[in-house]
Amino acid sequence: MKFMSSQNRRTLIAVFITLLVVCEMVAYVATTPRPREQFFQLYVLGAKHMAADYYPNNDTDIRIGEPVTWYLGVTDNMGTAQLVAIRVKIGNQISKPPDDQQALESPAPVVTEFMRFLQENATWETPFVWSISDAVSSGNSTRILRLQINNETYQIQDSSASNGHNFRLIFELWTWQTEANAFEFGWTTGGEHRVAWLQVWFNMTSPRPAL
Amino acid sequence: MGVLVVLALVAIQPLAVTSQTTDSLQLRFGETIAMLHQAESAGATPSEIGALVALLNKALELNGEALKLTAPDEVQRRAELVAQVDQILMTVENRAADLTALASQRSYTNKVLTYVWGAIAAVLGTILYAFTMSFYRKYRIKRTFQMRISRK
Repeated sequence: MKFMSSQNRRTLIAVFITLLVVCEMVAYVATTPRPREQFFQLYVLGAKHMAADYYPNNDTDIRIGEPVTWYLGVTDNMGTAQLVAIRVKIGNQISKPPDDQQALESPAPVVTEFMRFLQENATWETPFVWSISDAVSSGNSTRILRLQINNETYQIQDSSASNGHNFRLIFELWTWQTEANAFEFGWTTGGEHRVAWLQVWFNMTSPRPAL
Repeated sequence: MGVLVVLALVAIQPLAVTSQTTDSLQLRFGETIAMLHQAESAGATPSEIGALVALLNKALELNGEALKLTAPDEVQRRAELVAQVDQILMTVENRAADLTALASQRSYTNKVLTYVWGAIAAVLGTILYAFTMSFYRKYRIKRTFQMRISRK
């Protein structure tokens, strides 16, 4: 018995091949990860978890022993787990900030760093409670000698400002580069190097006189 | 002589611990992140990776604690913490390797199954088309035989 004509058979084969191509294309799209933008977010929030209230009583002049509460946060949107470090540096008015174009870090002295493993699409936030433990004035120059950050005391080198004005804390995001086996400032995506950094200014106009 | 050797070993121990907690451990942390990347590329799920990331952060915390112990009487505690960090890193490395193999196999199976389902869908679509056309032809034949010729 002839089941179907040769023309019908050819039509069916054509339909099958067309459907097969379409379905396998759908399968390919479903199993292939889509390219997406890769980036980090770095933020500093004030005492009330908002981009405000960075200083006690809204006074940028910080006194010795006065605690200042901020929150540091990093979000990983790189598509993979990452090892990140936030480097905290202290600078003054003439300190060079990081260079976005050349992806260069600030030459200001490092106070401390916070390291963390981050899962993809995860945010890590940590309190950053700091105070100036010791600062001295010598002539017109004010030097911060010790900073306390999260109950740890750090000796500060080379940090002075004219009349105690325009100190700043610089936060730089460093990431572990598996190819280089080292931390690098910023990150590389699509052959492009990008950086993330923040700075918050403050004054210290009530130091103790130098002995 | 024996006492001198013991004293020398005790004196060397803090130095060894210091180097272990800084450069070499940082390199090991870097190696583990590379292993996590391999597991992720192989198709490990966020929850599987999350468990390893939590362990690594625990190791970072312990390492931070160890670095704070600088007094001579804290050498023992410091060595214990460094040993714990080492143990956690070994666990993560082993689990990451297992996860890479498992996720790779799982991803391959899922991929093959998806393509097989594509082929099955194409076969089902073709059968559906054949039946639809068959019914349509029968309908057209039936309609043709039901036609009446009438004079206008």
